[in-house]
Amino acid sequence: MSNASPIRTRREFLTQNALGMGSVALATLLHQDKLLGTPANVPRGPQNYNLDLKRPHFKPQAKAMISLFMHGGPAHMDLTDPKPELQRMNGKTYQGDIQYSFIKRASKRLMGSRWQFRKHGECGTEISELPPNISGIVDDICLIRSMHTGYNRHEVSIRYMHSGIPSVTGRPTLGSWLLYGLGSETNNLPSYMVMTDPGGHPVDSVNNWSNGWMPTLFQGTVMRPKDPRILNLDAPAHLRGAIQQHNLGFLNAINRKHLERHPGEADLETRISSYELAARMQTSAKEALDISQETEETHRLYGIDDPATKEYGTRCLIARRLVERGVRFIQLFLNGQPWDNHQNIKSALPAACKRTDKPAAGLVMDLKRRGLLDTTIVHWGGEIGRLPVTEGEAANSGRDHNGQGFSTWLAGGGFKPGMVYGETDEVGHRAAVNKVTPNDFQATLLHQFGLQYDKLIFYHNGQEQLLTDGRPARVVKEILT
Amino acid sequence: MVHLSQRSVLLVLLLIAFPTWVAAEDKPLTYERDIRPIFRAHCFDCHGATKDKKGKLDLRLKRFMIGGGETGPAIVPGKPQESLLLHRLQAGEMPPGDTRVPDDQIKILERWISQGAPTARPEPETIADGLGITEEERAYWAFQPITKPAEPSVKDANRVRNPIDAFLLSRMQEKQLTFAPDADRLTLVKRVYLDLLGLPPTEEQVTKFLADKRPDAYDRLVDEVLESKHYGERWGRHWLDVAGYADSEGYSNADPVRTYAYKYRDYVIQSFNDNLPFNQFIQEQLAGDEMVAPPFKNMSDDNIRKLTATGFLRMAVDGTDNSNNEVSRNQMMADTIKIVSSSLLGVSVGCAQCHDHRYDPISHDDYHRIRAVFEPTFDWKKWRTPGNRKLSLYTDKDVAERTKVQQEAAVLEKERNEKEANFIKIALEKEFNRYEEPLQAKLRLAKATGGDKQTDEQKKLLKDHPNLNVNRGNLYQYNPDWRPLQKDYNTRIAKIKEKIPVEEFLRVATEVEGSIPETFLFYRGDHRQPQHTVNPGVLTVAAPPEKAPAIASNSPDSKFSGRRLAYAKWLTSGKHPLVARVLVNRFWLHHFGRGIVQTPDEFGKLGMLPSHPQLLDWMASYFMEHSWDLKQLHRLMMTSTAYRQSSVRNPKFDQVDTANEYYWHKSVQRLDAEIVRDRILAVSGKLDRTMFGAANGIKADDTGQIIVDGSNRRSIYIQVRRTQPVAVLQVFDAPVMTVNCGKRTMSTGANQSLMLMNSDFVLNYAKAFAQRVNKEASGKVDPKLVAGLEIPLDPEWLASLNPWKFGYGFIKPAKEEGAIGPVHFTPYPFFGDETWKGGEKMPDEKLGYTFLTRTGGHPNNPNQRPIRRWIAPATGKLAIKGILKHSSDNGDGVQVTVYSSRLGKQGSWQIASGLVDYDLTLEVEKGDVIDTIVDERKNHTSDSFTNTYTISLVDKETGKEKTWPSEEGFHGPLKTDGDKQVASLVEQAAYAWQLAYSRPPTRAEVELAATFIRTQIPILIEHDSKTPLLQAMTNFCQALISSNEFLYSD
Repeated sequence: MSNASPIRTRREFLTQNALGMGSVALATLLHQDKLLGTPANVPRGPQNYNLDLKRPHFKPQAKAMISLFMHGGPAHMDLTDPKPELQRMNGKTYQGDIQYSFIKRASKRLMGSRWQFRKHGECGTEISELPPNISGIVDDICLIRSMHTGYNRHEVSIRYMHSGIPSVTGRPTLGSWLLYGLGSETNNLPSYMVMTDPGGHPVDSVNNWSNGWMPTLFQGTVMRPKDPRILNLDAPAHLRGAIQQHNLGFLNAINRKHLERHPGEADLETRISSYELAARMQTSAKEALDISQETEETHRLYGIDDPATKEYGTRCLIARRLVERGVRFIQLFLNGQPWDNHQNIKSALPAACKRTDKPAAGLVMDLKRRGLLDTTIVHWGGEIGRLPVTEGEAANSGRDHNGQGFSTWLAGGGFKPGMVYGETDEVGHRAAVNKVTPNDFQATLLHQFGLQYDKLIFYHNGQEQLLTDGRPARVVKEILT
Repeated sequence: MVHLSQRSVLLVLLLIAFPTWVAAEDKPLTYERDIRPIFRAHCFDCHGATKDKKGKLDLRLKRFMIGGGETGPAIVPGKPQESLLLHRLQAGEMPPGDTRVPDDQIKILERWISQGAPTARPEPETIADGLGITEEERAYWAFQPITKPAEPSVKDANRVRNPIDAFLLSRMQEKQLTFAPDADRLTLVKRVYLDLLGLPPTEEQVTKFLADKRPDAYDRLVDEVLESKHYGERWGRHWLDVAGYADSEGYSNADPVRTYAYKYRDYVIQSFNDNLPFNQFIQEQLAGDEMVAPPFKNMSDDNIRKLTATGFLRMAVDGTDNSNNEVSRNQMMADTIKIVSSSLLGVSVGCAQCHDHRYDPISHDDYHRIRAVFEPTFDWKKWRTPGNRKLSLYTDKDVAERTKVQQEAAVLEKERNEKEANFIKIALEKEFNRYEEPLQAKLRLAKATGGDKQTDEQKKLLKDHPNLNVNRGNLYQYNPDWRPLQKDYNTRIAKIKEKIPVEEFLRVATEVEGSIPETFLFYRGDHRQPQHTVNPGVLTVAAPPEKAPAIASNSPDSKFSGRRLAYAKWLTSGKHPLVARVLVNRFWLHHFGRGIVQTPDEFGKLGMLPSHPQLLDWMASYFMEHSWDLKQLHRLMMTSTAYRQSSVRNPKFDQVDTANEYYWHKSVQRLDAEIVRDRILAVSGKLDRTMFGAANGIKADDTGQIIVDGSNRRSIYIQVRRTQPVAVLQVFDAPVMTVNCGKRTMSTGANQSLMLMNSDFVLNYAKAFAQRVNKEASGKVDPKLVAGLEIPLDPEWLASLNPWKFGYGFIKPAKEEGAIGPVHFTPYPFFGDETWKGGEKMPDEKLGYTFLTRTGGHPNNPNQRPIRRWIAPATGKLAIKGILKHSSDNGDGVQVTVYSSRLGKQGSWQIASGLVDYDLTLEVEKGDVIDTIVDERKNHTSDSFTNTYTISLVDKETGKEKTWPSEEGFHGPLKTDGDKQVASLVEQAAYAWQLAYSRPPTRAEVELAATFIRTQIPILIEHDSKTPLLQAMTNFCQALISSNEFLYSD
């Protein structure tokens, strides 16, 4: 099976085909119904891809996902992963091996956390004082402390996290796979949306939301922080509103006149109505973006009333509104990599926390009280973490990259709330217990969407492709409800 | 969101009718016709095709089945209940694995056994290994020799222009259908140009054809257009689809660029333009190298051309650049065989890669025979990677020159490397010095000791001091000075090396001299499981029975095997049942929008039956008789009534044959992606017609969308990167080359509409189009078309379109009557620094300090008070809410008076050192002038003020409310400079129409256009457009290039 099967009954599907399904899709269907034999080598011609809803492999727990991607490598030993041994050895030389990226400023002097950890919630998960709001939702999140890419470099690990193979670009990202496997729940909005930061693109830029070799239907649609918010969706400022309406009115008039000369040409009519659909998408997007419809209390929940959190809070709130409107996968990015605290971690890390802590927690709380959290996965995390040793001089010290062990958390969508999974070693350098690789992470996420990672196959260049690329992967069942 | 065109519907319906072996209830069954295909699909892999049969059961003959295998007889004729075979199938025990034989097929088997298991004829005494080919299989239409059926006689003989029409009409008569009337000449000239060139005709070309009153004017048109150099760019593109052309290797995500793939693309274009006989075209692509005497050096242009042709065999995805292993090599070979067989043979030979084909009589051995034809070229045991098999076109002279330049550069390179080593040394020294003795000495010693001689202690020491590992890669972290120096060296070295003559390469398929590998049959297609050797050969079923042409393993008088040339000659011998049919069907598909066989890559049982088999055969014969002359075939097809008829549907016929399977009208065809782009470039006047050469680049814009990097050349010259398809092409269904593309999908979706509405691509070219018509339109259109429709473009008219004006003056004494009411209003003469005022300097000589800004202003003297004026665009109820603010602590403040030209003064409000709200309502009629006049009161000092207000009007007619905030309405002079309109707007519109659609508009259409522009300009001006005229024309042009008449050919 090359794809998850269509959701409709066979009869409905065939009826619909009278409007548009190609021979190969039909061959696949006949194949599934055992009308044909199963030649191992049925020619795989061009497929007709669409965003129609597909039936997953099994009953899904999640329908949507919001990923708060934290570029740069949040310092887990200062945020989510308390290390008493590291505190004890603070300032002493580490005896084990360390994998560095920046050797010039490297040292083996251990650096304990400046921030106090404390137990929170009923579950008692320990979180540092830096993200007080996330501490407040520990009973709703599943914290993984044993993430591991094995690579300290940003791009290598970013690509691994998004599209399954370390370092390699040109592959579809998780969102593309979800759309390919499941289709879209909405006709009025793009189903895979990427919300970028007003400060610019994250590190590795557009590779973060590539559709690789999949059709553009499955590409992440960028919701830019400024106009045009969605590429090609809105008219540029000088045409917006009345002007484009007037233009479309004229276009419709000449198309109708043309149709009068070609009565009965169905495709001409379809194209005329596709402009109406396009216009509808414009309105829907605008409506989804309009957070003035939300109460003041909701604004406060996301920190929109505070200049420090206004921007990120607004994006988190929009993300929730998109989920409500049927968008499948939304990923929020920060500009550059604010968590890449090589120096001055003392001030830089609290700054990064300040911007994102309240909005992220607000999002989880808001989804929960609206009953959306059960079917929506919220993900918070980056591509790597940071080293337990000091980088640079004491005055402006920081921490170097660490892909050997780091934290990430998930909420909703069938992930066990109030759980901590996995451990790093005693100083927090390497994932030591229950290591979770990006491929495990991906397999688990697909599983929550009702998709089996090794059965969600896309044929590219005549070859079977998987998100995990056939690399070792497992669904981490222990963290699922 | 995506709908496919209706074209695919028929295909779907016909496929549903498949499989063909579902026989009617009452029909007597035979083994050969009804049962064997079921076994072929499900059972023969284990029980027939191979020498060893599972369970010793052989299902190839009835008597073998009765004899049975290890578990006894498989069938008992007449007694299905006692037939083990049937039980095993019904129980789902056979075939093993997940697959089940469908119930309806099991029922057929049951009936056949009940009927006594009849065979079509007595079974042979002996039978060779393998499945062989039965009469029934060989009888399949596609494997029959091509004959030339006689032209049928038909009733509507007057519509028969050539035999194509007779063949079509004879079938139409069954359904009481007939051709649509001939299309008008204008439609025809457009149809011919778009079809043959993928470019619209120019105005001159249209005029010339329309003026040609000779009876054979149309035939002359076809002849003339066929001679255009752009013909090869269009029809070459069709061929590149089936060849799977791409400018990158694919396979891995690195998707390396194929720098020289374009040479093959150019070969294809040139061959089409030269009308290279198609048999020769095929031979050159399959075996051009075997037509040239080695060594391939200092070759003539013609020999270079022939070697370039073999690029066809290098089109498949090739991963051996980055992942050179047995899998990727064999994958490349398999894909090449797929391309060759789908493009030329139209059968899925690839289905026999792992076992005998389950539907067509193509054996596992057949597959490997064809593989053997290509084995010496793609010798997977002695594989040549893309880098080491490219053929250099370098001459000896070039080589000598290169050596000389390289020696020159080597001097500098040496110098650079020495400097670098020194820098590293210094940096390391500095790091050592950071440490106290005795540690420093230890570190120095450890570092100085060779890697393999270091003690464990030294190793650990160095590991604990990672900063000592200074090297070329991280030197920049230690010393910022090296980078600029290094860069300078590199620039100088590069500059010297520029003198090296450019070495160009061909991507060729050649054999290694004297090296002819054996081909083995791969069990289950697995190259790790070779079985017996296989000699080169052809598809058995496609050759005459018992007379398959031999492909010699060796060519005695050559160092090469000669296999491909021999194979190519067989394919083009005129005796091959598939090649000419497949080609002709493709050409027909492009001309008519649907193939006679609707699965152009698949003429076997997995495909569809031809709708007009006789016509297909007649044309295939004609093609071969005429020396495979494609242009002659174009002439034949295009001069038929079938092609020349109108595309307008007849509602009565529509009920009989909606899908137009009978060709009773010409189909309306959506333009291919490349043509959409090319046509937009052409009408906007931007098209760069430069032919040939390296592919023009693409890039990702800042959102990741792939766009053409600046080139205005035709789309065929834009780089085809498998992993990075150009957005505007992909959205209109340009194929992404995974293998190749025999038939493009056609989708219609909102993503296309959004691209046409809002993409930079469309907006930019719409603007260029508008600028072009502005420049060129004068005198280009029939004056009668535009007479009386002109749009007044005088500045007053333009100014009248914006309700806000800015001037100074005073309220006249009551009895004196002015031109417009009792307010004396003079527009300010100057606008600068976002301020209306008397002149550049303040105070102005004449007008002193009077001025108006977006929010406020200043009065001068009682006759020079600032007036913000608003003219009511409709009749209704008006409300004004404003705030007047005077900030200075000095003076006696200011006063605002609201004045209606019809009703007089509506109120005055004063304020000093503070602010006052004002609020009033009044009735207005369309054209009423509402002024706010601010005066200085008594004391003429410190009179700066801000005065902002919002006017709301409830339209009496529509009941709708609209607001005009004074701040938003503030504007500078309504400039039309930079918006210079050379030709009148309506003339421009008519000319744009003519360019876009290659036809002049009707008077009614010009009226429609004029109405659009006339109504759009006020909207643009109201929205503060700086160039309302150009923008209106741009929007008009955009509508044209987004319209159905532009995107479809009728």
